[in-house]
Amino acid sequence: MEWIGLANYAVFMAIFIGIYAILALGLNIQWGLTGLFNAGIAGFFAVGAYTSAILTGPAMEGRLGGFELPVAVGWIGAMLVAGLIAWPIGKITLRFRSDYLAIATIGVAEIIRLVAKSEDWLTNSARGLNNLPRPFGDLDYFYSQLAYLGLVLLCLVVAYLLVEHQFRSPWGRMMRAIRDNETAAASLGKNIAFRRLEAFVFGACLMGLGGALLAHFNRSITPEGIDPMIATFLIWIMLILGGSGNNRGAILGTAVVWIIWSMTEIVTDQLPTEMAIQAKYIRMFLIGLMLQLVLRFRPEGLLPEDPTQRKAKAGKAP
Amino acid sequence: MSHTQTGSPILSVAGVTGGYGSGADILHGIDLTVGRHEIVGIVGPNGAGKSTALKAIFGLVQVRGGAIRFDDRDIAGWAPNRIVRCGIGYVPQVDNVFREMTVEENLEMGAFLRRSGVEAALQRIYTLFPDLVEKRRKPAGSLSGGQRQMVAFGRALMLDPQLLLLDEPTAGLSPRYCEQIFQIVRDVRAAGVAVLLVEQHAKQALSFCDRAYVLASGRNRAEGTGQGLLADREIAQMFLGG
Amino acid sequence: MDLLSFINFYLVPGIVLGAIYSLGAIGITLVFGVLRFAHLAHGDLATMGAFLVLALVSLLGMNPWVALPVSMAATAGLAVALHWLFYEHLRRRSAILTVIASLGVALMLRAVVQVVWGVDSQTYVGGITRPESYFGIRVKDREFWTLAATAALVVGLQLFLTFTRWGKAMRAMSDNPDLARLSGIDTRLTTALTWTIIGILSAAAGFFLGINTELKSLMGWYMLLPMFAAAILGGVGRVEGAVLGGMVIGIAEECSVLFLPSEYKSALAFAILLIMLAVRPTGLLRGKVL
Repeated sequence: MEWIGLANYAVFMAIFIGIYAILALGLNIQWGLTGLFNAGIAGFFAVGAYTSAILTGPAMEGRLGGFELPVAVGWIGAMLVAGLIAWPIGKITLRFRSDYLAIATIGVAEIIRLVAKSEDWLTNSARGLNNLPRPFGDLDYFYSQLAYLGLVLLCLVVAYLLVEHQFRSPWGRMMRAIRDNETAAASLGKNIAFRRLEAFVFGACLMGLGGALLAHFNRSITPEGIDPMIATFLIWIMLILGGSGNNRGAILGTAVVWIIWSMTEIVTDQLPTEMAIQAKYIRMFLIGLMLQLVLRFRPEGLLPEDPTQRKAKAGKAP
Repeated sequence: MSHTQTGSPILSVAGVTGGYGSGADILHGIDLTVGRHEIVGIVGPNGAGKSTALKAIFGLVQVRGGAIRFDDRDIAGWAPNRIVRCGIGYVPQVDNVFREMTVEENLEMGAFLRRSGVEAALQRIYTLFPDLVEKRRKPAGSLSGGQRQMVAFGRALMLDPQLLLLDEPTAGLSPRYCEQIFQIVRDVRAAGVAVLLVEQHAKQALSFCDRAYVLASGRNRAEGTGQGLLADREIAQMFLGG
Repeated sequence: MDLLSFINFYLVPGIVLGAIYSLGAIGITLVFGVLRFAHLAHGDLATMGAFLVLALVSLLGMNPWVALPVSMAATAGLAVALHWLFYEHLRRRSAILTVIASLGVALMLRAVVQVVWGVDSQTYVGGITRPESYFGIRVKDREFWTLAATAALVVGLQLFLTFTRWGKAMRAMSDNPDLARLSGIDTRLTTALTWTIIGILSAAAGFFLGINTELKSLMGWYMLLPMFAAAILGGVGRVEGAVLGGMVIGIAEECSVLFLPSEYKSALAFAILLIMLAVRPTGLLRGKVL
């Protein structure tokens, strides 16, 4: 039955789009609202995935974890730990220009990747954590997918409402007004500094949630499962293409980029196997190029920020 | 309007309007002229557009209307490094030296566009500012405020400009240095350079300028000789804070 | 462990690694100083330089050390091209967008290397090299030449910056870009010159890493964190600081295996980076803070 296959694929894609959209919303509150350049999305994503896995997975010898707690606990734990890691990073680097945050987040992601690969007792190294529980996992394949999609969409809607609320609140407008003026940000009072940290941590929590959602969907998490380059970079282009500063733009951008990314995978799958490895890197090159083109020709994205609340993005005066 | 010398003015600004980037107009049609050996001042209350007028002449601010002629060339809309080549030097109010570079290097940077005669130019500057000679290898940032101003002036003078634009040269300086700066301006004029300066301390400026313009809200309000404007009580009260 | 063993197994490799990091850190500090943004593609530029040498060696049979200057020139040209293609139009808008673009450029450079040369490790020349012994201190030929070449490049750069007209123009732009423009300094040419120097230094850093260890497509990306940590440790915008920072981090990384598991070498650079930002953001030699 052709259409069942297509329907399955559509649901499958929708789940990924939903999860990545949550990540993009998290990035939007960091970048779109507050102007913070998080280049280590993959790290927070991984932390969330592993935390939830450790909390909810079955016990294994010589390894921490196996608490077999309910999935909901795992997901909340994922958000908490991701936020906990974001906090000190933000505290140290937020008073400087976002360049420093970029480097620090690259560092964090790298360290997390190393820990995931090397710490047997925590993450089971390369073998990863498996047999994770999946909500509605016992249902028939199609309905199980559908149910999971429902869960993801629920999380997405809640996340959207929360983030949108932040954007529209009075202090959210103020954040965007100062976002483009980094020198002003540095000299502002503690109240503003706290809010920026809050935005950074909140965004990280959403990224942790995304990681947990994906881990439980796949029922496993391994270090190789998340290519940090792709995970971090794809979210960035999703947000920029969709429209940074615009939450609906973030979701739209996620859908568009993921569909393009999947299409390119279908195309390169047709190629002979010798070219398969190279095909993967050709796709990455094209994604990198796509970002440059978007930045050049349409940096405000498909759905620009709400113009009435947007300060002129002309950047520095000549 | 009286010129203190014959000959055409070196700078004439007529009906200039303009502002920053895409922002609103700050200048609403200002006129002024500077003769070849004059010291001309621009005074007025805060926000009058005085510094903006200087920047418009030097190409740092968008000129949207009017004409700016320097030495018989129309320079409105030119980029600063083209204007520098023509013979106008500009000394900004703040950040006007290369703090990490030595005094001599600052001067050399002023002469970046020179093909030859850098040594001679250096000598001229050191003659004008003898205090700088012993500090020539010190970083400009380590000098006192008054000496830093000398470096700033010197840098702008290295290309032998015919006109020097000074943006609040005495800002933040003690009275002793203020007087020193005014003397330097006179020395610069004596060396054959016309000076157009913006000053917040109106009274001091007016007392040594040949002529001056009073600006307020981006428009001309008054003009006359320095002494004349000083003596005018009405002007002093309306625009110069009594 | 006796002193000689310490020197041979930790200090010498540390100094060599430090030299490599110094070259990279100088490039980063130049971009920070003259162009005022964090160039995230710096590591991958070094990777490209290293692999260009590999191409010359394998296609033309050149000696790697002879191929190095050619690669330097090519990488310099590449760096200038990258600026005009991807960074220039963004700098006028906002510095942070340039950083994002540089992340994309890093990905693109890396992808090109991965497509053309694959992801397996490669080397310039096979075989084992025997170290020479100088009073018991064992230094391999290539280590010696790495240090010598690095010293020459650093000294050459410092002479250029201190005594030549264009070198001073670069320093002026780093010091006060608006005043530099007012003085008539051609900022476009100075920018191009800066990227040329960066390309040369990056190619050298990549080559030295490749010839002392091996070539992998991710080699430059993994150097990014230590290079940035070195630049910030020494003081942003200061060439001497970058050299100092590079040496400190290189030696610290090599010595860290004495008390840290070796997988976490790069964690040390990260820790140093965070500590510096928390405690003394201007760095050891008091550079800028962006």
